[in-house]
Amino acid sequence: MSKNSFQAMLYLLPAGLLFLIFFYWPLLQNAYLSLFSWNMVSPNMKYVGMENFSAIFASPELWKIFLNTVLFVVIMLVLNFVLPYIYSFILGHVITCCQAFYRSALFLPSTLSLAVASILFLWIYNPLAGPLQIILSWFSLESPRWFKEDYLVIFAICTIIGWKVFGYNMIVMLAAMVAVPKELIEAAMLENASNWTIFRKIILPMTSSTAIYVFTITVVFGLQYVLVPVNMLTQGGPDQGSSNLVYIIYQYAFTFFQTGRSAAYAVITMVCYLVFLYVKNKFLEKKVYYEN
Amino acid sequence: MEEIKNVEQTNEYSIIFSNVQKAYGKTVVIEDLNLEIKQGERLILLGPSGCGKTTTLRMIAGFEEITAGDLFMDGRQVNNVPPGERNIAMVFQSYALFPHMTVWENITFGLKLQKLPEEEITRRAKEAMEILHLEGYENKKTHELSGGQKQRVALCRALVKQSPYFLLDEPLSNLDAKLRQKARTELVKLHEMFKPTMVYVTHDQIEAMTVAHRIAVMNQGRIQQIDTPYNIYHHPANTFVAGFIGSPAMNILEAQVLNNCLVVGDSVLKPSSALLEQIGSRKKVLFGLRPEACAPAFGDAMIKGRVDFVENTGNLQTATLRLPDGASMYVQDSHQDTSFAACAGVDFAWDKVCLFDEETGANLEQGGKQ
Amino acid sequence: MKTKLASWQEEWGYHLLLLVAVFLMLWPIVFMLSTSLKDLNQVFESTLNPLPFPPTFDNYTNVLENFPLLTYIWNTFFIAIVVTMSKALTSVLAAFGFVYYDFKYKETIFNGMLLTFFIPITVLIMPNYLLMAKLGLLDTPYGVMLPSLVDGMGVFLMRQTMRGIPKPLLEAAILDGATPWQILRKVVLPLIKPSVLAISILFFINSWNEYFWPLLILQDKHNLTLPLALQMFISAEGGSEWGVAMAVATLTSLPPLVLYGFCQKFIINTFMQAGVKG
Repeated sequence: MSKNSFQAMLYLLPAGLLFLIFFYWPLLQNAYLSLFSWNMVSPNMKYVGMENFSAIFASPELWKIFLNTVLFVVIMLVLNFVLPYIYSFILGHVITCCQAFYRSALFLPSTLSLAVASILFLWIYNPLAGPLQIILSWFSLESPRWFKEDYLVIFAICTIIGWKVFGYNMIVMLAAMVAVPKELIEAAMLENASNWTIFRKIILPMTSSTAIYVFTITVVFGLQYVLVPVNMLTQGGPDQGSSNLVYIIYQYAFTFFQTGRSAAYAVITMVCYLVFLYVKNKFLEKKVYYEN
Repeated sequence: MEEIKNVEQTNEYSIIFSNVQKAYGKTVVIEDLNLEIKQGERLILLGPSGCGKTTTLRMIAGFEEITAGDLFMDGRQVNNVPPGERNIAMVFQSYALFPHMTVWENITFGLKLQKLPEEEITRRAKEAMEILHLEGYENKKTHELSGGQKQRVALCRALVKQSPYFLLDEPLSNLDAKLRQKARTELVKLHEMFKPTMVYVTHDQIEAMTVAHRIAVMNQGRIQQIDTPYNIYHHPANTFVAGFIGSPAMNILEAQVLNNCLVVGDSVLKPSSALLEQIGSRKKVLFGLRPEACAPAFGDAMIKGRVDFVENTGNLQTATLRLPDGASMYVQDSHQDTSFAACAGVDFAWDKVCLFDEETGANLEQGGKQ
Repeated sequence: MKTKLASWQEEWGYHLLLLVAVFLMLWPIVFMLSTSLKDLNQVFESTLNPLPFPPTFDNYTNVLENFPLLTYIWNTFFIAIVVTMSKALTSVLAAFGFVYYDFKYKETIFNGMLLTFFIPITVLIMPNYLLMAKLGLLDTPYGVMLPSLVDGMGVFLMRQTMRGIPKPLLEAAILDGATPWQILRKVVLPLIKPSVLAISILFFINSWNEYFWPLLILQDKHNLTLPLALQMFISAEGGSEWGVAMAVATLTSLPPLVLYGFCQKFIINTFMQAGVKG
């Protein structure tokens, strides 16, 4: 419309400036800090070059962290991507009544704080007196120490995130589901197509762009949501068993006070994220059906 | 420079396109537009979709940049004058009424922006609403209005501005057929009252024929013909105009020229001397004849053929005549008792015939050159 | 009318599946509420009973007496409201810049803004923490607000909404001689008001629930926000504070739940819009 780019800049300025100061400048600063050894308080910073990076790549910790991250992502993809997708299909196209009720009920946890969710599940998972332990005891099972065992802790934390995020992701995908024109499904039914065929040939391709969006936010935000329960309930433990690529940055900065190491991890994590987003754009988006 | 001086002497509120070109990137939409719209006239831009008529209108409004050439309004070159300073009133196809405002707020929106005195705004709005029979709707929201009412509010909003230029982009296309006819008449009356320079875009030829002083028929970014509705219909400049105007369109048949005779199908016709003169030394021409200029013939017909199919629309019968060489033509007859079963072809009067150059498609009447 | 893909027997099966999910989603919330109304004995003796009898408000009075709860509520609210207003304002302005104007590198700048949405928060916290320290804003609400005054998703959503406004509406205003600022205020804003309101509610809920960044900035017991205050009750794991902890959790959840209750359709519609890409 208007080509007055000076005026345009005035409108972009408030947002743009804040983005630069609080999002892009920190990225640069991380890159800078990653070249130093510093404890955040001491007045002298020691230039160490790539030492922080080489130390990280040499330590077995990185691989543990990396494995944890993958495990987090896989479990969250099941809980927050696959399940909501199936449920949104059922809600949008299979059942014939009560959609509004299910929608509202399933969405409810999304409005709560992760801090609330964490404390709730800490009590639910409490191995001595928690409600889950009582239920397990009915079957004469002993409750494991959910937040103290390797791998189990990751699963337990993922269920907290799953509880909080399931409804949100389902609603987003439901929007795409109900946007699939009914005529298409009816036309397929006239051809005597099975439900499975309808799902595969119509629903899947026509909801794929939203599905990829949800896939992306599940991976990208899932790891950030995890921060809250991890920090409140385990502090990365047991023995870094619930730490991940996102949390470790915080740990090195504010628990171990090794800013250089923290910044180096931040750079590595950021690169991982960018690679993920790039790969997603390059390969996934191409196979997607877009309406326009 | 010479040209610009010339322009300054013309009518006050004329719109002049001088060698205007419009391109989006490398796609040229309008190649070389030369068009003068006179003060107070109703000019209609008519053409199929994608012909450049809306782009032309939007260049006048200033929504589309002019790639090359000059646009003059009021004798002034306005290529770079922003839309808001061109003093234009416009009616959009979708009406573009602000859904969050009442009818009154919609109508006075522009006037308030101009900071006119309150009494002046009220006076103008009241007057315009009276003319358009909108009294009593002041406080209605636009979604409460019918299609016809919305259209009138859109007109009213344009009217109160009292602009010398009045642009309309398919203003009636969202109305149903009955309402459209009424709105057409009202529109002409409205124009007669204030006589702004009016440019009206449509793809509906009936609208064009009934509203226009002059019609500019456009195709593929070029003006094919600018003339009065009468001349556009009876003296189409080329086969495009002939084929675009009229429903069904003009029959256009290939004709061989043999010994001062025209051979159409297997019928040999002896043209009038005026037409022979137009033909000159050509070996082949295109023979144009409007369906309603054809009279069904029984027995010895000028153009022989047999009837394939008849449509009866109550007041008219339209028959498809198949010629021996496979070509077909439409015949329209207003007599309900005509039986096409025995029809052996058509007769016609030579003064109704248009001849076109076989290659350029131009009407031979105008010298056969384009 | 719905297109039926299942027989009624099958449909019952699907309803069962949905009800299981609904139970899993709602049970923790019911559990939180009921535990907050139980006294110490009930918490451990009738843990699973959702209806405490007799219900007791001791936990709530206990919290109110021993903790500066009202201060926490005010802190959380103050931060949330400033953040919400600023995010909405900057998003609308930037979105209008993108929709109304044409300029070089428009797509690049837009993508740059959207990308910030995907940057993990821990990547940003240390440099931002150092900046807040330098500005002397540690342990103040302003230190919490400052890096949250803008939102990439907000810019994206507002641009989407503004793109939905039919162009002729803007053109009609332009022809009437409206300046861009007038167009934004008199045409665009009134038309997108519902979306601005909805996204503001989301901003508010998110800021209200925010845990990580405030955790770093706020130290003093009187400066905390509600989600941070929750942390105090879990130090004694397996201890006897569960009723109290659930009371604070309930209070923290109340505003989002109430907002959700009132504007349910509104919020869901916005969330649904957020997923439809363009």
